[in-house]
Order: sequence, then C-alpha cells, then structure tokens
Amino acid sequence: MTILYVLIPLALLLLGLAVWAFFWAVGNGQFDDLDTPAMRIIMDDDDKPDGQD
Amino acid sequence: MAAPCFHCALPVPASCSLTVDIDGEKHPVCCPGCKAVAELIRDSGMTRYYELRDAPEPGVGRPPDEAAEWQVFDSAEMLDAFTERQDDAREATIYVGGMYCSACSWLIETTLGKQPGIRSAEVNPITHRLRLRFDEHAAHLSAFLATLANLGYQPQPLSPESTTRPEVAEQRTGLKRLLVASLGMMQVMMFAVGLYSMDYQGIDPDMQYFLRLVSFLVTTPVVFYSAKPFFTSAWRGIVGRKPGMDLPVSIAVGAAYTASVYATFTHGEAVWYDSVTMFVFFLTLGRFLEMRARHRSIDRSAALSTLLPNTATRIDAAGHSIVPVSQLSKGDRLLLRAGESIPADGQVVSGATSVDESLLTGEARPQSKSAGDDLAAGSINIDGMVEMVVTNTGSDTTLGTISRLSERARYARPAFVTLADRIASYIVVALLVIAAAVAVFWYFADPGRAFVITLSVLVVTCPCALALATPAAFAAAGSRLSQLRLLVTNGNAIESLSRATLAIFDKTGTLTMGLPRITAVVVVDPAWTEKDCRLVAAALEHASTHPLARAFALPDALPEVCDERIHVGEGVSGMIEGREWRIGNAGFVGGGASAGDSVSTHVFLGVDGRLVAWFDLEDELRPGAAEALDASRRLGLDVALISGDNRIAVEAVAAELGIDDYHAECRPEDKLRIIEEAQRRGERVVMIGDGINDAPVLAGADASIAPAHGALLAQTSADIIMLGDSLSPLGTAFAMSRKTMRIVRQNLGWAIVYNTLALPLAAAGFVPPWLAAIGMSTSSLVVVLNALRLSRFEQ
Repeated sequence: MTILYVLIPLALLLLGLAVWAFFWAVGNGQFDDLDTPAMRIIMDDDDKPDGQD
Repeated sequence: MAAPCFHCALPVPASCSLTVDIDGEKHPVCCPGCKAVAELIRDSGMTRYYELRDAPEPGVGRPPDEAAEWQVFDSAEMLDAFTERQDDAREATIYVGGMYCSACSWLIETTLGKQPGIRSAEVNPITHRLRLRFDEHAAHLSAFLATLANLGYQPQPLSPESTTRPEVAEQRTGLKRLLVASLGMMQVMMFAVGLYSMDYQGIDPDMQYFLRLVSFLVTTPVVFYSAKPFFTSAWRGIVGRKPGMDLPVSIAVGAAYTASVYATFTHGEAVWYDSVTMFVFFLTLGRFLEMRARHRSIDRSAALSTLLPNTATRIDAAGHSIVPVSQLSKGDRLLLRAGESIPADGQVVSGATSVDESLLTGEARPQSKSAGDDLAAGSINIDGMVEMVVTNTGSDTTLGTISRLSERARYARPAFVTLADRIASYIVVALLVIAAAVAVFWYFADPGRAFVITLSVLVVTCPCALALATPAAFAAAGSRLSQLRLLVTNGNAIESLSRATLAIFDKTGTLTMGLPRITAVVVVDPAWTEKDCRLVAAALEHASTHPLARAFALPDALPEVCDERIHVGEGVSGMIEGREWRIGNAGFVGGGASAGDSVSTHVFLGVDGRLVAWFDLEDELRPGAAEALDASRRLGLDVALISGDNRIAVEAVAAELGIDDYHAECRPEDKLRIIEEAQRRGERVVMIGDGINDAPVLAGADASIAPAHGALLAQTSADIIMLGDSLSPLGTAFAMSRKTMRIVRQNLGWAIVYNTLALPLAAAGFVPPWLAAIGMSTSSLVVVLNALRLSRFEQ
C-alpha cells in the first residue's frame, strides 16, 4: 500500500497538468464554438467540384 | 404547388423555369440570385451544405436583389474604422446576418478560406460573428463582404469596440469552472471509495489521513474556484435581504467543506469531500447549460443594426457619395432606390414610392409615400426612387425607440420570487435555528458529542435536494424543449408558462404564414373566364415586386405584355393583345369596381376602364395553428387574438380557428393595454407574436413566445423562441411547463419529507456523520432522477 504515497501525488500532478492544458486551450479560444466542430468531423473536405472527380 | 426553391425554400414563381444542376439532378430555384448562390456552392465543391443544414427556413440565405456596394469599405479611413492591424495582417469582425445553423459557419469558413489573401476565417455560430484575418495588400475587405453577400448572407462589419463579447468571456469562465468541478469530483470520488471501504476493513490511520489530505487538496479549488459564483450571489442575497437559492447552496457547501477540513486536521470521524465536489459539479453543470441556452438568443444591438443597411447614398453638392450609415446626421439628403431599406427616419423630399412598414406597424400592405410623408428607419422602399431628408438617426429613430421601449418593459417586469426560492429561504432559516438549538442542547447534555451531532444535523438536513429540485427539473425541461425546437431564453419562462391562464396570439406571421394566397376569383364580365383572368393577372404581376404579387404566379405560359407600367401604390397596367389591362385597387382599375363586404384583401382586374374580375387574397394559416389552439384549450387556457390588421381579416382568422375573443386594428400601445387589463383581472398572459412592434408587448406579458424568423428584435424580448415552422409544439410546451412545475413540487415535497424525517433522528444522535453524508447524496440523486423523467416527456 505504501506505493500509494507515490502514485497519488503523481496522479495529482497529472491532474494539475490536464487542468493547466485545458485552461490554456480555453484561453486560446478553442472552446468558443462548441457546435461546429461536432459537425465538421462528418464533413469531407475532399468533395471535388463537378467534373473534377 | 410546385416544389419550393432548392436554395431558399421560398415558392418558385410559376413563370420561373430556372434550375440548378447538383449531383446530376436538376433542382428548381426561384430566382437568378438563388441559382447563382447554389452554383457558387456547387462549384466550390460544397454541396454537402444542402445535406447537412437543418430544415431550411423559407427566405433565409436568399441573396439580396441588388448587390450592395461594398467598395466603400476599402478606403483607408473605413479600413481603420472597421479593422485592427495585427502584425502584417488586418483583422475584421463581421456580423453575419441570415445564419441559422452550424452548416452555415462551415460553408462560410470553407468558402472564404479558399480566397486569396485570407489568413484565417472563424465563425461563431452562436454569436453570428466572423473573425477574418487577411493581408490588406493581397486582398480587399470588399471582396470578402461581396462573397458573403453572394452566398446569401447579410454581412455587417462591426467596429472593434463593439466586438468585445462579454458572452465569450462568460462561457470561457463557465467552462473552466465546470472542468475543475468535474475533474475534482472524479478524483475525490476515487479517494472516497478507498476511505469508505477502509472504514469496514479497518484502516491504517496514516493512510486515512493521507487520503483525506489529498481529498482536501483537490476539493479546495472546487469550492473556492468552481463554487465561487454561488458564494458571491449568496452574499449579494444577504446584503440585499433577499436570500435566494444560492444561500442554502453556499451554506451546504461551506458547512460540509469546513466540517471536513476540521475533521481532516483533528482526525475526526468523517469527511464529506465527495458530497461537496459532487454537489458543486451538478450545480455548475446546471448553470453552464442554462448559460449556453441564454447565449443563443441573439443579442440586441446586432439585431437592431442588421435591420438597417450598411451604407446610404448621400446627395452632396458635388453629387452622390456612398457613406456608412453611422456617419449620417440630421439634415442629410439621401437617395433611396427601389428595394433598399431605409437607413434613418426622415421625410420624403421628392418622388413617390410605396414602403413596406410591416416590421414597425404589422401592416402587411405597402404604404404609399410622396413628398412630405414620413419614412421610418428599417422599413423597405419597394418600388420607387425617392429623395429623403434625415430627421433622426441611430437610436433616436422609431426603430431605436421601440427597441428601448421593449428594454424598459423587460426590466419593469416584477421581480419574480420563485416558489422554490421562497420555500428554500424559510427552510434554510429554520434549519439554522434548529441546528443552533441542537448544539446548545447537546453542549449541556454531552459536550463531547455536541459538535459531531450538530454536524450530522447540518449535513443530513442539508438543503442539497431542495437546492437541486428546481434547477435539475428546469435543465431537463429546457433540453427536452430544445428537441421540440423551442429555445428557452429566460430562466423564469417555464414557471411563468405553467401558470398562464390566457394565451394571446398575434395574427400576421404567427397564426398565419404572412404569405398571401388567392382564395376566390369573382368574374363580373361574362366575356372572360376565370382562367383568362388568372393568366392576365399573372402576366401583369410578373414584373411587380409588390408582396401581393407573389400570390398570382402561375405555372402556365403567360400572354405577352407590352408597355407594362407599375403605378406606385395603385397597381400595374400593360397592353395585352392591343387592349389596356389594369390590375390593382378599385380606384385605379375604374369601372365602379367594388367588392362589397368580404373578409379578404381584394385585387381588381379591368380592361379598357371596365371591371372584369376581382381576386380575394388571404393569408394562409401556419401549420399546427389549430392543434396549438386545441391543446391550449384542453389545458384550460383562454385564447385571444390581437392584430394590427384590419377587422375583416382578423374576424376571418378568428372564425376559422374558433377564437371568440379578438381585437383588430391594434397599435402596439393598444396591445400592451389589452395585456395589462387582462393582468389586472388576474389573468396570467402568455403572448405569442413576432414583429418589432410586438417587442414591448412580448416583454410586458408574463411569458412570451416568438417564431425565430419573425423580426429579430422580437426574439430578443421573447422568453421562448420557436425554431420550427409549425405551431404544434406549443401545446406540448404548455403541457410540459405544467409537468415541470409538478416535478419541481414533487422534488420539493420529497426533500421536505426527507429532511423532516432525518432531522429528529440526527438531532437525537442516532445518525453518524457518514450515514448523514449518504443520506444527503441519496436524497439529491432521487431528485435528479425524478427531474430526468422530463427529458422523455411526450404529450
């Protein structure tokens, strides 16, 4: 059980890192639009104009 | 009727045989503009747009008839006013009018992204704002604006000051708070599993202390960062002597946290970090979802400005110049062409035209205007070219005044103290008194157990379930309503709706579609058949832009018209096979035209000064209107109809839908007065209407609902926005609001029963703190699960 004294602080460290990364991403405007990305994933950007495919 | 336009979903005029070829299939379109847009979308390889967009709203995305003159935005002066320099690029923020779903933002970003000189284009579909970065040496701002206009949107460059968006900042903070609460909750739950299981298996005191310490570390930011808004709002409530829902929440979080910290450092019996974090997470999630719904309502300032054009043609000593509307001032002389919207209040100096003032007055028929008549900003010049002199600009115009009026009516609404808040306030005060009494009693009876028992009392009776009862039900109801394409923009809407006793409907554009249709043709000259009359009328009206003209379109080959002339405010004349035909009002057609008493709008047709026939035109009922009214009546609501339209037309709609209580020819003030009178009689009024003139009326009612494609301003003062075309979800909404309030009452009842049962047990010292914590969590869970039943609600 002593290993917990190492693993839990390690988990907290990772948690802190995740929070920091998320705050950075939010501040960077990556979460300002929560609707379009959900659609973008299902849209192919490689649709060719008529006559080119 | 023929298929609607593939691009904009408006009916295709019979005379129009344009089609657009997409994926090898020919689709009909209603005008060359829509054809051009559809082809532009196809040629850019983005036909997926048509598959991905939501059901098209008729008219949305339709290109302007006359391309706006964007070049004015390329001058150095304008570029400085509307863009910011960033390194070697310029950044502009553009409000994109006419967007209605995420597919639009994808279309805009992808199309603009392919243009030369573009650095980045990002659209926020919620705020309808496009952030555009471009190289000013390689591209012109006007090119991007023209592309947007060609796609059928109405771009509106915003000056940098007006682009700092409090909503964006609020959403970012809300997201951060939510994330801290959710990650914190998950971590603390994990530690709690260890703590609880070790309670049974026997625990190493060092390990227990360590787990409590890390729980404390993780919970602290959750309490002080994520739950901060609850504390500040609770404090405001105390200062303002109006303790709200946030006070019990704060006390629960604060007390459980403080007690846990105390227990941690004194090696006490139990900690409640898991309950604290879970509680904060649920509350923060509820707040976040509520905030998102709120942001979806379109902001007022932008809504107002999109009704005005970007530029106006000013008549100077030197000639004509195109200036931005923001630079207009009183006394300027402007030239108005047909089809342009009027940029400012003013008077006609010369020329004659007819003007569509339906946004301001609700009057569907165009008003004829000649020298000396007043013009209102936001109305549309339909068919003539006039010169006007500006009397008022910007927020001083009638449009601006109406928007301010609606703002005032909104704030004048009595502060609504919810049932839940009232009960929670009493209960929280009572609980504090009881906890204090218990503490005093045990201090004298058994000082060693006094703190633990008081703590158990506080935790077991913690008004968590009480605090969650209302928001959980409202959040579930809001998400179910949005599936029905009803958007709740005001937190009180559901409660106000559930108490409504009188539903007042507006006519034009709400109960009816706002599109006229021929209901009868009365031929008075036996020399002609009905078919002849319809053909001649269709041929004559083909060239007209008059709103009624669309009703005449026919799919047949039309006779040829020579020397066609549009007589402003009167009708159309033209030569067919050598005879002069006229279509329009009675005086214009001549021959003693009179249709007697009838319920609809009349259009007369005559040849060589003799009356041949008249047409009855009526506005079609909106789908689901009858169902919505039936559902309202079934729920015991009284139904009334008020309209600015003429008595006969209103009577017809009232008769068709079986409405006994109707008022015609109402001005906005009259409508507001009718509502206030009903409210004085003790009725609770829900107003369903659109149109700018209805905005104060909507705000004055207890609850308000507006169709999304009505005038934008009406949406901003409405509590609920209908995104779909049909009125039938309204019945479900009424029923659902009542069900929601029923669930809120059940939740409150359960919470009260639980608290009254648990309280004596805890006060007597039978409930150890860990059991108290489980009781608290379970009672909250029951409340949330009960609320979730709403998300499956069917009428």
